[in-house]
Amino acid sequence: MKSLFHNKTTIALLVIPPLTVMFFAIAAPLLVSLYFSFMKWSGFGTIKFIGLENFRELILQDGTFWRSLLNVSILILVTVFIQNPVAFLIAAALTKLPEKASRLLRTIYFVPATLSLVVVTKLWVNIFNPTYGILNKLIHALGFQDFTVAWLSDPRTALGSVIWIMIWQGFGWALLFYYSGLVTVPAELEEAAQIDGASRWQTFIHIIIPYLFPVIQSVIVIDVISSFKQMEMIYLSTEGGPGNYTQFIAVYLYQKAFKYSEYGYGNAISVLFVVIAVMITIIIQKIFTTWSNQEE
Amino acid sequence: MNTRNDSYRARKTIYTTLLWIILGGLVIAQLFPLLWVASYSLQKSGDLFGPELFKLPKEPQWQNYLRAWKDGKIPAYLLNTLKIVIPSVTGATLLSFGLAYACTRMEWKMKPLAWFFVTIGLTIPIHTTLLPNFIWYRFFGLIDTHLGLIISYIAFSLSFNTIVFSGLLAGIPKSMEESAFIDGAGYGRILSQIIAPMAATGFATVGVQTFLNHWNEFIMANTYLASEIKRTLPFSIIRFQGEYSSDYAVQFACMTLVALPPLVLYFIFNRWILAGVTAGAVKG
Repeated sequence: MKSLFHNKTTIALLVIPPLTVMFFAIAAPLLVSLYFSFMKWSGFGTIKFIGLENFRELILQDGTFWRSLLNVSILILVTVFIQNPVAFLIAAALTKLPEKASRLLRTIYFVPATLSLVVVTKLWVNIFNPTYGILNKLIHALGFQDFTVAWLSDPRTALGSVIWIMIWQGFGWALLFYYSGLVTVPAELEEAAQIDGASRWQTFIHIIIPYLFPVIQSVIVIDVISSFKQMEMIYLSTEGGPGNYTQFIAVYLYQKAFKYSEYGYGNAISVLFVVIAVMITIIIQKIFTTWSNQEE
Repeated sequence: MNTRNDSYRARKTIYTTLLWIILGGLVIAQLFPLLWVASYSLQKSGDLFGPELFKLPKEPQWQNYLRAWKDGKIPAYLLNTLKIVIPSVTGATLLSFGLAYACTRMEWKMKPLAWFFVTIGLTIPIHTTLLPNFIWYRFFGLIDTHLGLIISYIAFSLSFNTIVFSGLLAGIPKSMEESAFIDGAGYGRILSQIIAPMAATGFATVGVQTFLNHWNEFIMANTYLASEIKRTLPFSIIRFQGEYSSDYAVQFACMTLVALPPLVLYFIFNRWILAGVTAGAVKG
């Protein structure tokens, strides 16, 4: 009977195809990337080995690279400290509503998350349009004629505007994660706290939030990963501009590679990008495990 | 006593009203942009420049949709999308189910290593493979082919899907397989007739999720597909950037058409999406 779960042929049949696909389409290109990151190459002609020169330039001299990391960090902070708490509170409110109303609202709030990035981006590019966009019309209608803004091309508003698009689309996900966590909180836990004289707010802070810590943790990890992966929205709206005010690392990589044909340098960005993304994820998970160990 | 009760009630009313204002405001924030596009997709492009914030179409300009359909090359791009999405969703679902089964129910030496690859795959950004694949895929003749996209789409969906399936499969008692095995069932039958039905929610979530991702995917298609005739549905909208860029109404009609199928699917299956998220996030 034990052999049932040890059958080597079955394991091979189940495991080898998916892992081969992952190796072929993810791991192998990354190795190719690593190889070319040590080269100077414009896509054709001679390939010249230059050692760590690309990485040296990237880390020590490339302001755009650092600017794009700064923008990712800003996005992470806004997501974790503004979008997440709002989503959490709304999710908590939804659990107190009658099931029908709650389900309807959940369905509506998630609608933007189902749309394609191309649709979402083009939608907001139109809303932000300085001449016919609804945002400037609203400012006009409120009587502030002098304050109309070129949202996506003004350095003061560009980053905020693109972050808003990302937050808008991601809100449904955050809400859904927190809602599905909140419904797992046992009712007895809340009741017991309230019998002990805790107010609703105290119950929320001292019982519900600690109970949901693993969920909050997963959502933050997902937020960080997806912040690093943001690319299409920028590519289809500001292309990193004006200047580099809305530059994100994946967009920068794309431009270096396909606009300026700096293949070696582009691959160096790719390699560093993977290293940063993986390391940050591991670090956050480490921090969370130490935290939850201390709690116990 | 009575006054205290009254003030408590009054406060409760204020809170409830405030709550509904916030919830309603969010409904507007999430839906209004879509209504805006849908409404102006049925008007003349010039109507967009009027002073009013929002206007319903008085004489619906249905020909906008006809032009979006034609100028956006929707029939050809839709066919391409289906040619890619059907095999990629099937592949990404079945392969991850098998992998999740092997990783949760079966015993083998390399399992921790395989699981490590699955979880690390979740953190790898698609964009880091775009440039090297230009070299790597070209070597295999996969650039500018639908097959190249199908392989990439499957690869990048496997991690998430395997994790969702694993969450569901881990809870099934092992006696399920054992008794079927005694009855003479082989692995094929155990997997397809005993385990798969028990993971039905997983198939629905993973299926819908993967479908939405692949249907909406843009950057890989943009990078690998050079020929215009091979492109996918999101490119219908992109077409209105250039030569037709002043046809705002037609562009809006095109956006509505492209957004509609995933929306319909979402409204039919939204219960399943929620179920899978629960499995994924809570066990995380």
